[in-house]
Formats: sequence, structure tokens, C-alpha cells
Amino acid sequence: MSVAGLERRRQLVTAGLGTALTLVMGLVLIVGFRLATHMRAEVTALQAASTLQTYPEEISHQLNTLRDRLEVRAYSGKALADLQETVKHFDQELKALDATRDVDSPQLGRALLLWHEYGPVLDPVVTFSGQPYLDTDSGGSNLSREGREHYAQVKRAQLFAADNAHALQAQLSSLASTLQQSASQAATRLRGLLAAGVLAALVLAAAAGYFQFTRARHERAARDAQEQTRDILKTVREGFFLLDANYRIGSVWSEALARMFGRSDFAGLSFEELLKNLVTPATLATATKYIKLLWGDRAHENLMKSINPLGQLEITMDNGHGSKETRYLQFDFHRVMGPEGIKHVLCSVGDITSSVLLARELQDQQENANQQLDMMLGMLHVDPLQLVSFLDTAETGLKLVNAILKEPARSDAEFRKKLTGLFRELHSIKGEASALNLKSIASRVHALEDMVSECKKRPELTGSDFLPLVLKLDELLAHLRSVREMAARLTDMKDSPVTAPAAVPAVPAAPAARTPAAAEAPRPRAVEDMTPTLQAMADRLAADHAKRFRLSMHGLADVPGPYNATIKDCLIQMLRNSAVHGVESPQVRRDSAKDEAGAVRVEFRRTADGYELLFEDDGAGIAVESLKAAAVKKQLISEEEASLLDTRSTMALIFRPGFSTQDDVSMDAGRGVGMDVVARSVYALGGKIGVSTHPGKYTRFKIVLPAVDSASSAVA
Amino acid sequence: MLYEQELKTFVEGTTNFFEVAAQQPASIGSPYLMEGTPSVHEYTGVINISGKREGVVYFTAPKAMLTVLLMKMQENDFSHETMRDLVGEVANTISGNARRDFGRDFVISVPSVLSGEKPAIPQKPGQRSFIIPINWRSHSAKLVVSLS
Repeated sequence: MSVAGLERRRQLVTAGLGTALTLVMGLVLIVGFRLATHMRAEVTALQAASTLQTYPEEISHQLNTLRDRLEVRAYSGKALADLQETVKHFDQELKALDATRDVDSPQLGRALLLWHEYGPVLDPVVTFSGQPYLDTDSGGSNLSREGREHYAQVKRAQLFAADNAHALQAQLSSLASTLQQSASQAATRLRGLLAAGVLAALVLAAAAGYFQFTRARHERAARDAQEQTRDILKTVREGFFLLDANYRIGSVWSEALARMFGRSDFAGLSFEELLKNLVTPATLATATKYIKLLWGDRAHENLMKSINPLGQLEITMDNGHGSKETRYLQFDFHRVMGPEGIKHVLCSVGDITSSVLLARELQDQQENANQQLDMMLGMLHVDPLQLVSFLDTAETGLKLVNAILKEPARSDAEFRKKLTGLFRELHSIKGEASALNLKSIASRVHALEDMVSECKKRPELTGSDFLPLVLKLDELLAHLRSVREMAARLTDMKDSPVTAPAAVPAVPAAPAARTPAAAEAPRPRAVEDMTPTLQAMADRLAADHAKRFRLSMHGLADVPGPYNATIKDCLIQMLRNSAVHGVESPQVRRDSAKDEAGAVRVEFRRTADGYELLFEDDGAGIAVESLKAAAVKKQLISEEEASLLDTRSTMALIFRPGFSTQDDVSMDAGRGVGMDVVARSVYALGGKIGVSTHPGKYTRFKIVLPAVDSASSAVA
Repeated sequence: MLYEQELKTFVEGTTNFFEVAAQQPASIGSPYLMEGTPSVHEYTGVINISGKREGVVYFTAPKAMLTVLLMKMQENDFSHETMRDLVGEVANTISGNARRDFGRDFVISVPSVLSGEKPAIPQKPGQRSFIIPINWRSHSAKLVVSLS
């Protein structure tokens, strides 16, 4: 039985016992009162009967006295007065006794009858008021005529009394005896009743005492239980509370709740109010609907659990130090059923912040581990010389990025000026990372580029906008360091005699065994064969953009050392352009009666006064009008300016910073940085770049570079 | 890796000081990275941090800037000790902000003040630092966050 049921039963028993005790005591008192009243009347009657039984003898005696006084002619007035008094009292008391309702006995009747017979003989005596004597000088005192009659009446009465006094006395005595017996019986009954009453009271008192004892025991147990509940609610780390049918919180909740929500006014608080300032309006609306659903009889609890929108709730609240912090709470709901359906919904709230953060950390670590594995697998296919060269270039590039950041800036213009430089440096690094298929580096640089793009969109730039950039730059540098360490380890593994040569791809051996420390230090760039890198990049681009390439490269082995990096950067960028803008998809090429695989030709050759690099694809070519439209869209030129541009000037738009025909930014295009970088690199070496195209047929870039000596002086 | 919010907490601690003490906000310049020990100005307030992060955070300012700052604060005493107290106060504000935002995750030392241009700042070798220029009026100080 429930605690409430037990309490109700206890209250009923208490009320029953109280009523029984009242009834019994009332009955005893009423009956006792009646008995006492009756007994009192009988005692009074007994007293009266006891007194009355002396009267007949008294009357008889007084009659004798009166007769004697009359016979000796003595004064009889006093004797007559005594008689009158006695008769009067006897008559009154007898009649009073008769009038008493409680006395109804034959003895009284007979006594009354006898007394009634006294009347005719006594009345003339007691009513006598004449002069009984006549006084003469001669004869002295003699009875007068009235006296003689009076004497005769007295004598007759005396004789009657002598004959009947005993009988009257006997009747009265018998009556007294009867009344005594009756009073005695009444007293016995009263005693019995009182004893029964006392006994009943004792029994009830004992029952009440027992009941009180058990009640006290139950209350003690209830108090203990309450205390235990309080202790549990005080100690438990989850927040517990009950919701009623009006979605309001009950009066009992665990203390953890106060810690979680930073308040303690939960009693009567609606669930909506509890979450109102902690979650978004959409989440609040969903949670409120969910709570309403919980009260539906038809909702299946397990199903409800699976759609719980508060399984992992992110809330922002005061951390007690005047600042905000984010916590993750998990709400669980259980319906509490009663005989008439759902009574309450028990809500448990757990602070799962540490679990969520740990899970995220584990996920991050897992992702990092996967990325490292991917990176390592990717690195296995990269020439260690190329990799080290790339890392050197990237690190130098990032140092340049840092140098750009370090330039003092206070105004928006000064901050904005940095962005273009940052784009160029980052784009080159990303291009080379993509070419080497070092996705982890390329994606990080891409994210940094995204941040720079975001900065560009802001109406006014301040130093605060650059804080995320510098953090990302730090992360990128740290990543480059870990890549360098990994590369050193891989090189060590490859150089190790226990490593099977067939287990790794055939790549040129590293110049010397390197230690991680040695690998960290930047080294001078060596002349490298860029052909495998470009081929790998072409393959990757083909896969990423669902296109097919046939890349042919000639003369790249003749690229002089000082031009190597620039030529590689230019080829990477132009290859990406071909993949994104030039070479069409296989379907389009089929429809245009072209080979499904796009032909991309790269040729480097020495000329009379320097070098020449040709890059050509047989793709869609460049439509002059689409270049103009893209430039207008990017707000690089106005529509009016566009209409005035000739073909040559329109083609030159390709090399303008920020120009791109693509709206969306991807890993390979869209920022409008690549060809700008190519042109600037070429110009920096004292070279020239040109582009020719035929829509639907080809695009050709021609880069002319001076002889190496002239280039050095141009750079200087 | 340092989180943006952590960096912002230190930056706000510094700029808030100027806003409250001189009723003239400071702005932050272009932040950058530096390996090794960055150069410092004449007065430097340092707080050491341990716990979730390990390292130092310090505010270093030139005497000229501190002098103007004291003038703005209606101070007439421009002694060496007052300058030291002032950078100590800035470091203290940074430390208070960090305590408020990071709670128990960070153990933050009582600020110490160093003066001179080559003070011995305890810094891990090879540790990259974030340098955040703090511009106030025509002067420039530096907030250096060097945490691992």
C-alpha cells in the first residue's frame, strides 16, 4: 500500500476510535445520569417513607396526650397544635410521596387508603377551634359542650389510631424497605455502568495509545524515509524533479538541479520557464511539444525516448565568476503511472559536459590520427626530396604570411592591404600541397584562405579580425612541423636496411639519412623532377572534377634551378585552371566530337635569349564575353568599361587579382588569386606571359623567361 | 593549440584596463607570431599560467606610453615604482579576466613586474608566441601570449 493510502487508513482509524470513545462515554453518561436521577428520587422517597413511618405512632401518641389533657381538664391547646402540625406534615409528605412518579408501590397505595380512612375521625379533632372548658367558681373547670364533643372525637380518633396506626406504620415501613431495595439496585446498576464506562474508556484509551504508538512509529519511519530521500536528493549528481499535468515542477527536487541551472525557485516553475533563456526558441518549442506528448496515454515510452529532443542540450549560463560558459545537459523523462493514468513525469537531468567534451576530443584525436595516416600514406608516394622542398617552400611562404601580418596597421586600409598579399602566398602553398596530394596541408591552407575571404567581406577591419588568422597560422605551422617529423621518420624507415625495398614505391633515394632535427632545419632547394608531381596532380584533378586528362610534358628536366619553383607554381595553377575551366566533361567532349580525354600539353624549351614555357589544353577555350561578365559581376570593372574592352584587354583580366569566372570557391578555383600569382611570379623573374584561345578548341599560355643570369639581376 | 576565446580573454583584459583607467579605449594592431623570446619594452607585467595551459602571458609597454597613461589617470607621480605598479595593474586585470573566464582549468600566478629591455622572462625554448600590438593614442605596447 502506498504511503498516502496508509496515511488515509490511519486517519480513518483515528476518527473511528474518537467517535467510538465519544459514543461510549456519552452513553455511559446519559444512562448514568438517568440512573442517578432515578436513584436520587428513590433515596428522597426512602427518606420520606422513613420519616413517614414514625408519624402514625406519633399521631396516636399525640391523640393520647390530647385525651389525657382533656380528661384532667388541663390545657390542651398545645397538644392540639402539635397534633395539627403532625397531621398536616404527614398528610403533605404522604401526598408528596404519592406525587413522585418514580414511587409506584402497592404499600403506598394501601398506606394512602388507610390514611384516607383516618380522615373522617381525625378531621373533626384537628379542625376543633372552640373552647373545650367552662370555668366556674364553684365547680372549677368543666368540659363545655364543645369540649365534650371534642373529647368524644379525640377518644374516637384515639381508638381508631390505636387500631390502625400499626397497620399504617407497617405499610410505610414496607414501602421504605421496598424503596431501599430499589435504591440499592439502582446504585448497583450505576456502579456497573460506571465500571463498564471506565473499562470501555480504558479499552479505547489503550487502543488509542496503541494506535498513537504505531502512528508515531510510522511517522518516525516516514521521517527517516524523508531524511533519506533528502540525503539522496542532496547528494545525487543528477537533477531530479517531477512535472505535473500543467507541466509545472513539483515541490521536491535534487540539489544538483540548482547547481546546473543556477537558480532554486523551481517549485511551481513551468518547464518552459526553466529552459526559456537557455535554449533557442525553436528548441524550446520542440521541447514543449515533446513534454505535451509525454502526457498522452498512447505515446510509447521507448519511442518517446528515441525522439527526445533534449538528449544533449547545449546551454550557455553564468559560470559563477561573472562570465558565461557552455554546458551540455541530458534530459531523461519517465512517466509515473497511477491508478487513473499518468500522475507525473519524472525528469532527470545529467550534466554530460565532460563526456561530450571527451567524446569530441576523442573524435578530434581519431580524425587527427586518420588524417595523419592519410598523410603518411600520401607521403609514401611523394619523392622525399620533393616533400622536403615543398615543406621548405611552405614554411618560407608562411613566414612571409607572418611578415605581412607583422607589418604595423591601425586603419582599415592598412589591414585590408594585407589581405591581398596573404591570398597570394597562401594560394601558392595550397597549389603545391594539392599537387603533392598533401590533403591535410591543402585543406588547412584552404581554411586559412576562407578566413582571409571572410575578412575581406567585413565593412571595417580591425586587429581583432586577424586573431583567428594568426591562430590558424600557428596551427598550420605546427602541422607542417609534424609533417616534417613524419617525413624524416619515413625517410629513416626507407633508408633502414631492415626495410624491404619493394615495400615502398621506387623513388629517388634521399641525399643522406636525416634525423628529425636535421629535417626541421630549412635546407637549400635542389633541382627536382616535377613531372611525377604534375602527373599525380593531373590524376587527382581528373578524379575530383570527373574529367579525363592526357598530360604530356616535355623538357621539364631542363628547367634551370632558379626557375624551378616558379615554373612548378605556374604549371600547377594552369593545370588547375584547365581542370576546372578548360577541359570539358567526357560527355560534353563526346558531344563536341572530341576525344573523351582532354589533351594537356606542357613544353619547356630553351630559346635564343632565354626560355619558353607553353601550356595548352584542347578544352572549351575562353569566351571573351563570359570574361567580361565575370569581371563585372566581381565588380572589377563597370559594364561601361567592359563594353569598351578589346579582346586583348579582356584576356588580361585573367591576371587581375580577385578575378574568377567561378562563383563558388573550391579547393582548386574561385578565389581569383591563381593567375595573378602566376603573372606576378613571371614578372618578378623579368618574364612575360601571354594567352591565346579559340572558343571550343583550345587555350594556350606562353611564358617567356630571360636567361638565368638576366633573371637573377631582375629579381635583385 | 590555443583557442580564439582564450586569446580574446587576454586581449579584452588588456583593452578593458585602458577603457576603465584612462576612459579611452585601446585598439589592437595586427597580431603575428614569433619564435623565441620577443623583444620587450621598458616595463613588463608577467603572469605565469599552469594547468590546462602552460606558459606566460605578459604585457610590455614603453615608458612614454605609461607616462601618458598616468597623466590621463590624474597621477602626478611618474617614478619608476609607479610605472612598475601600473604595468602590474594591467597584468592584474588580465589575470582577473582569465580567472573569470577560465575558472579552475587555469592556475594563474600573482603578477610579477620586470623592468629593463632584457628581463628574464621564463619561456619555453622553441615556443611560438602570439604578439598582439596594443595601440593607445599614438603609442604601442605588446601583449605576448606564450602558452602551450
